[in-house]
Amino acid sequence: MRHLPLPRRMSSVIASTAVLALVAGAAAVALTGTAASADSSGSSRAKNVIYLLGDGMGRTHVTAARERFVGLDGRLAMETLPAQGFVSTYAVEKLSGQPGAADFHPNAVTDSASAATAWSSGVKTYNAALGIDAKGTVAPTLMELAKKAGYRTGNVSTAEITDATPAGQMSHALARGCQGPVYSAAACQDLAITGTALPTSDVRVTPIAEQIARNGTADVILGGGLGRFDAADETALTAQGYQVLGSITSQKVATKTDLAAANGAKVFGLFNTGNLTVEKSKLDNPTSVQAQEPTLPEMTTKAIALLTAKYKKEKGEKASKGFYLQIEGALIDKRSHANDAAQTLGEMKAFDDAVAVARDFAKKDGNTLVIVTADHECAGFNIIEKGTFTNAQAATPPANADSGNRANSSTPVRPSNAIDPSRSTGIMNGAGSADAKNFAPATFRIPSDPATVTDGSPEAGLWLTYLSGNHTGADVPIYATGPGSDQLQGSVDNTDLFDIMGRALRITG
Amino acid sequence: MRAVTRRTVALTVLAGALVCAAVGVGISLAPMAASRDAAATGTSDTAAPADDVVMTSFPGLVAATGEPELASMTALRPAAGSVAEASGPFDDRFEFDALSFDGATVSGAVRITSDVSDLLELEVVAGFYDVDGTLLGTDRFVHHLGDEVHDGPPVESEAFTIAVPAPLAGRVGAVAVGVPVLVNE
Ligand SMILES: [Zn+2]
Repeated sequence: MRHLPLPRRMSSVIASTAVLALVAGAAAVALTGTAASADSSGSSRAKNVIYLLGDGMGRTHVTAARERFVGLDGRLAMETLPAQGFVSTYAVEKLSGQPGAADFHPNAVTDSASAATAWSSGVKTYNAALGIDAKGTVAPTLMELAKKAGYRTGNVSTAEITDATPAGQMSHALARGCQGPVYSAAACQDLAITGTALPTSDVRVTPIAEQIARNGTADVILGGGLGRFDAADETALTAQGYQVLGSITSQKVATKTDLAAANGAKVFGLFNTGNLTVEKSKLDNPTSVQAQEPTLPEMTTKAIALLTAKYKKEKGEKASKGFYLQIEGALIDKRSHANDAAQTLGEMKAFDDAVAVARDFAKKDGNTLVIVTADHECAGFNIIEKGTFTNAQAATPPANADSGNRANSSTPVRPSNAIDPSRSTGIMNGAGSADAKNFAPATFRIPSDPATVTDGSPEAGLWLTYLSGNHTGADVPIYATGPGSDQLQGSVDNTDLFDIMGRALRITG
Repeated sequence: MRAVTRRTVALTVLAGALVCAAVGVGISLAPMAASRDAAATGTSDTAAPADDVVMTSFPGLVAATGEPELASMTALRPAAGSVAEASGPFDDRFEFDALSFDGATVSGAVRITSDVSDLLELEVVAGFYDVDGTLLGTDRFVHHLGDEVHDGPPVESEAFTIAVPAPLAGRVGAVAVGVPVLVNE
């Protein structure tokens, strides 16, 4: 054990350089603390870090939710955080080196797996990879480092807990589709990375549910995806001391009542066999089984309570140093893929309510870094002028060539307007063109609209469109408060978040 | 959507275990701050490598052998000429449509009833039974969304066909189908 100079107010955590035992029967390890690099200033250190992300939440998602819920002149909770900036989100191709390397091959548009790996492990990787770099090398995650350094840890999502974003902190997999409950070669192996199939005992092809149930990386696990876990997983969780809400073995989902009663040091609660249910549907169907799922702000409140509660320590266990908590609003992305503006907005509201919970805790605590961001933008969400349509729907799209001023016109690289089959398969909305529900713009009333204006009417103040049904490469916004948040003022890359959070918790170099 | 869709060539005959062709490829771990620090200061008995932080093996977890089967199939006794549905972990996420068996091929479609932005993984296992309802063997349909770019709207229904494996030709009187692998989002 070595003792490192630490800032005065952090003296209570000198024990960070302790030897810790791994949970769940793995070989015991000695982890040398990595506190206090020479250039760390006390102000960048926090006792707790709460990292919230809206999956697929671009800048326009924030603006649209603001206009819808608090008005054009209002501010969402996330927008009240003092440090604000943007995050670049690009991925890399398979087998690419890291930025700066000769074999670096970037990919402009990321998926949730590559993005989660960027902030969780600090490396760029290919789309679909989790907790490994683009050559397949396992990279430790912040949550693993935090856990081993004596922090309490939590991972909360409205998706299946085996889905890419939560899995990025607590698994290592060649392919995000290897979720479980069972292994399959097609879902788990990737010969483009490994050449030959890995043995099925290799962590990188071990179903993500089996990893999560056995590696003890997160003390508090709340979300969906009960169907990914089986009886053996429940046995493994219970053996590590998890309080399992509901029942995995009988596939009985947990409820918000179960969550309210939870009081373990380690809690595993999944509230749906698949993804959790969108808020709008629960509001519309208050007597449904799904309405018994907790909301994201409810899960956030409970996760913080569980992570800050005092527990009887195990023999030899050190005092907890604080916590590291990740919260994902996953359905913003899933409903943006579907170009469903009403549900997207509802999920944005639930996510912002979770941000408010974290912000209020941080204000009271005084030593918590709160970061709010996204993994990528989804669907090219945009706010258009009242009474207008997107170019794809316009009778006469804007002309690229300016016949009046030749200086404005470049030479078209393609001779005609014929569809380029390598870039377009034609009008994707074709089959649904008879159904008006499939078409943007979607309109919503805003607080300043007269009381007679209804959602969906042309008079409504918020007009929304989508560019596509998939992710875009746009930078995403970031909002932060607390120790070290000044580093997020301006533009950063998603891999920088690994360093900033790691330094705040003194768990990376 | 041009996902790679293929049928595995291996037939799982119940009497024999399918051997997984597992070529040993060692896990390599990225160097990380902890190990660099420890090595530099020499204060640790042994430099703590990254694998002290990442749990890379799971004592007690039996590694998978072969492709996933559905335990429910062994208990089924489908009536001659019928296509039964074998229960699996994702039955609340899809419906089978247009199941039919013509003696040589079982076909149908899996219609996803939960969220669909991408159908990442789907496996349909067919169990082939003799006229007395005894399970003779299985084969499967595999859909895997690989590296292809998104090139269309999400697919909510995936059609499949699975042929009676050659060694079982002429002996199959009924079929059961089920889904052990489904990842859609
Ligand atoms: Zn997405």
